[in-house]
Amino acid sequence: MGVCGAVIRGVGLRVGAVLLLAGIWWAVAAAHVWPEVFVPSPGSVWDQLFLTSSVRDGQRGYSGHLLHEHLLASLRRIGLGSLYGVAGGIALGLVIGLVPTVRALLGPLVTFVRTLPPLAYFSLLIIWFGIDETPKVTLLFVAALPPVAVATAEAVRGVHEDYLHAARSLGARRWQLPFQIVLPSALPEVITGIRVAVGVAYTTVVAAETVNGVPGIGGMIRDAQRYNQTDVVILGLLVIGASGLLIDALLQLTARLLVPWRGKA
Amino acid sequence: MKHRLIPALALVLGLAACSSGTGATQAGVSASGPGGAPKEIRIGYQLIPNGDLIVKDQRWLEEALPDTTITWTKFDSGGDVNTAMVAGSIDIGLAGSAPVTRGLSAPLDIPYKVPWIFDVIGENEALVARQAGSVQELKGKKVAAPFSSTAHYSLLAALQDAGLAEADVTVIDLEPPDIQAAWARGDIDAAYTWTPVLGELRKTGKVLVTSKDLAAKGKLTADLAVVRDQFATTYPEALRTWLAQQDRAVKLVRSDKQAAAAAVGRQLNLDPAEAAEQIDELVLLDGKEQAGPDYLGTPEQPGALAQNLRSTAEFLRSQNKLPSVPELTVFQQGLATEELRDAFAG
Repeated sequence: MGVCGAVIRGVGLRVGAVLLLAGIWWAVAAAHVWPEVFVPSPGSVWDQLFLTSSVRDGQRGYSGHLLHEHLLASLRRIGLGSLYGVAGGIALGLVIGLVPTVRALLGPLVTFVRTLPPLAYFSLLIIWFGIDETPKVTLLFVAALPPVAVATAEAVRGVHEDYLHAARSLGARRWQLPFQIVLPSALPEVITGIRVAVGVAYTTVVAAETVNGVPGIGGMIRDAQRYNQTDVVILGLLVIGASGLLIDALLQLTARLLVPWRGKA
Repeated sequence: MKHRLIPALALVLGLAACSSGTGATQAGVSASGPGGAPKEIRIGYQLIPNGDLIVKDQRWLEEALPDTTITWTKFDSGGDVNTAMVAGSIDIGLAGSAPVTRGLSAPLDIPYKVPWIFDVIGENEALVARQAGSVQELKGKKVAAPFSSTAHYSLLAALQDAGLAEADVTVIDLEPPDIQAAWARGDIDAAYTWTPVLGELRKTGKVLVTSKDLAAKGKLTADLAVVRDQFATTYPEALRTWLAQQDRAVKLVRSDKQAAAAAVGRQLNLDPAEAAEQIDELVLLDGKEQAGPDYLGTPEQPGALAQNLRSTAEFLRSQNKLPSVPELTVFQQGLATEELRDAFAG
């Protein structure tokens, strides 16, 4: 047994679970309990994967763009929105965590923004910023910022007093403390916050692409829904889910590299 | 017009509602009341200022079929109406020519047909430009339309008519309220949309083409009635009664505009003057006109609507929204010409 056996067992379990789900799906579709519009077969979703990734009769993929172009457009929006959200969230969280006055002022505001459903204020962003990339990235930024800000603020407040005292006695300047001591020791929680933020940006991207969202996976799904093309809808969902899993795995890997001490205290 | 899914979740919700309703509702159709009248007629309507709203407002169908329960369900788009038809949740519905084309084609192949044209879209949908004086001048410009709507179809038809390819302009997908916002900000150069947003755009822009102009060139868009085949064969008499009420509504619009506008206004929460204006922008057809060669036609000579639906199918095919274009006969058989003739034989 050992490590190798455990890995094989883990992978086997996951592959088995996916195969089992696909099998149930296939059986339900093949039994034709519901019309094809309601439950498309795995085969037709598979076919759509190729149709949407190829150029036929001068028509590029779906809605004029290939599948990977839709995905890249969405990933770009998620990437930019998360990047700004993480940068803004860490800065905001540091200030909230370190300065009690700011905490009293901005703490409730962050919670307020966090509870707003994105679709509710998106129409405002359209009026303010137009119909191109700015309102979409802004929406994802607003969605991604609070989780990071909250996680950072909590982590900063939780930094052990002894670390700060020790740093000061060793001659650290006041301005060095947040970057040399506070942030590194808060890093594990901040990274968890970032994972949550990227997840929130992922779930928000479909809302962001309800207006002029093509190319974009959310825009593609929306367009397919209008035409009752359920197989394309499911393909879009699978692509979003799969790419989300991949990105989360990358984030976890980064976390392990950045904070190797986590869980080994 | 509003022939389609507006909120992203509507399909999912629609599916849940429809599939759970299937078992219970099928029973309502098979059980018949006295005199061969159905126990229940389930109607899917949309908020479009045509005769259907007058029939609903005046309760003519309820009066004409006293032993039948009439259930009116509001739909926001033809896509939803198609879904409800597939699930067998409604008997008669209203959908635009584009959704009906999809319904009659594979893979949906919904067993329904078109017994009536509620309205031909006229001046209530139009292409408005901020600067351009002609469609040709839109080359390289940003033009918005709500995708998959009749307006989207009309926009591409107008471009084609002006000798422009779809790639010559940037066509973007926006809902009417967003079109209004983008127009006000100057983000778009032109838009093909419908009232009431169209009215706002007309104030500061120039109308290049209306759907009425396009209809004259054979690119007709319309709001159609669809009836389930099973319902039409089981209850021909009820269908005839239904058709007679629609005919009566069109005639009321012609004979007493005020009464018609008041009825439509009540259904749309509009004052009668505004409702009258909106009715005037649509082309309404009475029973005799429906059987004309330009529209549904006769059993011997199916009307031009079939060609229209087929060219809509070609358009959808070119957009990769349909796997193939069905034969013309598929659409000719999709017109309920016999039922129409029987209803207005006298």
